[in-house]
Amino acid sequence: MKIFLTIDLHKCTGCRNCELACSAERTKSFNPKRSRIQILKDEPRNLVVPMVCLQCEVPLCEQACPNGAISYNEKGTLVVHSKVCIGCMNCVTACLYGGIEIDPKTLKAKKCDICWGDPACIKACEYKAISLVEAKKEGLKARRKNIDIAYQTAGMKTGEVQE
Amino acid sequence: MTFPYKGYAGYYLDVDLTKGKVHKKELEKEWARLYLGGSGVAAKILWDRTGPDTDPLGPDNVLVLGTGPLTGAMFSPSGRMMFAAKGPLTGVWAESHVGGFLGPEVKYAGFDFVIFNGRSKKQVYLSLRDGEAELLDASHLWGRETDVTTQMMREDHKDPTLETGVIGPAGENMVLYGSIIVDFYRAAGRTGLGSVLGSKNVKGIAASGSLGIEAHDMDKYLEANEQEMEKLRAPIWNESLSSLRKYGTTDLIAIINEIGRLPTKNHWTGFYEDSDDIGPETIAEKYRIGQEACHGCAIGCKYIIRVNEGKYSTGPIGGPEYETLMAFGSNCLNNDIESIFHLGKRCDLLGMDTISCGKSIGFAMDLYEQGIISANDADGLDLSWGNAETQVELVEKIARREGFGDTLANGVRKAAEMIGGEAWRYAVHVKGLEASGQDPRAHQSIGLTYATNVRGADHLRSLSSLEELGYSEIVIERFGKEKADAILDIMSPVHKGEVVWDMEDLYAIVDSAVICKYGTMWPPVFYYDTFVNVIPHLTGMAEWGDPKFVRKAGERISHLRRAYNHRLGVTRKEETLPPRLLEDPMPTGPSKGGLPDLDYMLDDYYKFRGCDRETGYPKEAKLKELDLDFVIEDLKPRGMTR
Repeated sequence: MKIFLTIDLHKCTGCRNCELACSAERTKSFNPKRSRIQILKDEPRNLVVPMVCLQCEVPLCEQACPNGAISYNEKGTLVVHSKVCIGCMNCVTACLYGGIEIDPKTLKAKKCDICWGDPACIKACEYKAISLVEAKKEGLKARRKNIDIAYQTAGMKTGEVQE
Repeated sequence: MTFPYKGYAGYYLDVDLTKGKVHKKELEKEWARLYLGGSGVAAKILWDRTGPDTDPLGPDNVLVLGTGPLTGAMFSPSGRMMFAAKGPLTGVWAESHVGGFLGPEVKYAGFDFVIFNGRSKKQVYLSLRDGEAELLDASHLWGRETDVTTQMMREDHKDPTLETGVIGPAGENMVLYGSIIVDFYRAAGRTGLGSVLGSKNVKGIAASGSLGIEAHDMDKYLEANEQEMEKLRAPIWNESLSSLRKYGTTDLIAIINEIGRLPTKNHWTGFYEDSDDIGPETIAEKYRIGQEACHGCAIGCKYIIRVNEGKYSTGPIGGPEYETLMAFGSNCLNNDIESIFHLGKRCDLLGMDTISCGKSIGFAMDLYEQGIISANDADGLDLSWGNAETQVELVEKIARREGFGDTLANGVRKAAEMIGGEAWRYAVHVKGLEASGQDPRAHQSIGLTYATNVRGADHLRSLSSLEELGYSEIVIERFGKEKADAILDIMSPVHKGEVVWDMEDLYAIVDSAVICKYGTMWPPVFYYDTFVNVIPHLTGMAEWGDPKFVRKAGERISHLRRAYNHRLGVTRKEETLPPRLLEDPMPTGPSKGGLPDLDYMLDDYYKFRGCDRETGYPKEAKLKELDLDFVIEDLKPRGMTR
């Protein structure tokens, strides 16, 4: 069964400890810009917008990659093969959710690969806002609900998110 | 040789504003080893570069922006940073700390410290990005309020992750308590450092970086970090943490009023009958819409409010802290909570310290009641207690330095001098800094904290919550069983000299690391052993694994800041309290009749601090023990050592 991360917007305080934990786990440094999970904030509108790969059913990033660097691993998780990635940024442009970005140090694409099923960000979140869910009805519903805010930042109203 | 320690960015920036040049320099190894970072290193820099002849608002003053090794290094709560300079409000050592996200970002952008020297001819701001620094034109930002400034900077840089620290109109107009606002609603509020930036024609700092921070031994550091987090999660702190998460600091209104320590009516008393109107439940039920947290913080005391209707309606803003509720609320007998939200918001947007501003207005209201000033002296304003509309008008006037606002923009000490007569009796300050939201007549050790605090009358350099909240286990652990009963008696002066001395050194490390007072002051979880545990793995400074070395570093920083003030003329005579808190017994409330026994506590404190009882000057042997020979060289010829 496919798994992915969901972030409960009502619990997230925007502290960005997940970014620190992710960068410590994956880059052995504290460097939020290299984190695979990103929390964007728009303070005047009181918006906290967590951005992490949603493991889409129809991944636009994969389709946009000219070099075949993005594919599923044996666990069914979409991952970037950095040796194949040429850093062209097509995937970054293609993803609607800010789920894939260029690593400022390696200049290759980076995205969440769920740490092989044991994500560092979940352990680091003191507010228990991040969880790992299966792609069943409940999980899909939670994922949809929690990207609502990203849609709001694009000027769409709450509840307009498509299935 | 390159800077040898991890946990730091490894560089600092010397900004020569007069010439418009920036100089990137390698961080000094000895700064880190002996002073750790933040307040400690700032003390060394200011000691070397400023002194008795420095004009706080002149080009010769130096403003330090500081971070510490723990800033942005995932230790909770470590989204902190600090600013320091010779203070325009007080004329002595001035520092102010702030949370949010700027501190970590400055480090990720490649710098641990920024030192502003001189005065820019043009209006500028400093941009830091991935090891590069430049002074950029700020003429289009000048005169703007802090939120607009931040949004414009983000747009200019096309970077929504840009973090900022900026001043508002109050700092530009050199209100003596102008603040530096970080990330919209977090303030380096106290001592007027925003006005030091304003005097230098600097609108602020903007940082964005992807350089990251490494650890000396990442695995061991994360393990040590987790051990410390376990302490924070211990069941005894559940109540404190859930209170902070639910109410933020507003819960203190209820807790502190209950013991009769809530400054009310310009510190006339410590008990406010209408405290529920401005208290935690009212705010949580009617206005709170969300929780917020600083960078990597597990406590998350910040909260967001919204006021839907009425003349003080507002979209989402950071809710006021305890101190703001006290300063504009109980202190001015104003129980209209929506007006207090508005006053706090305006102070943030104008870039002004809410404590000094609220206290200056309360002072004026007191003088009006006493008949020392009339409406004529105050641009025709009705200064009756609790008049929220007058408060609102005065906040705007102060920021613009207009009319009576120009007098109050100087803080209570200088305003009292300007007004003359008996006005000084109602000016509640130490060393020129308006008292924060405590009262020594209800809590003895606060009297000593106020009197000895290097920046003036506030709680953040040495307040002890141990006796206030009765943490007997912690008291026994830290000071021994024999002393516990006296220490836990909030109205006993016995052993309080030792407690304040111990806290001051602890907070000296906390302020240099740089972490928050939440988790250290209250709840009192992290102690010296925390730093012994985490600093060596993070930095590679093995000496910091020795508890004696860590304590000594705390003492060193405390002494250096004290020496800085001695050189400016501070002695035992200045380490005192205003008459209202020292001589007038508490008139009403649960702590009725209370007075601090300051002399007793000061004697005790000087003994532990290694200072002379008559003058407060340091003993030469003590300075030598702390490797402060350069302080002896300077102070001895001035007759300021014993």
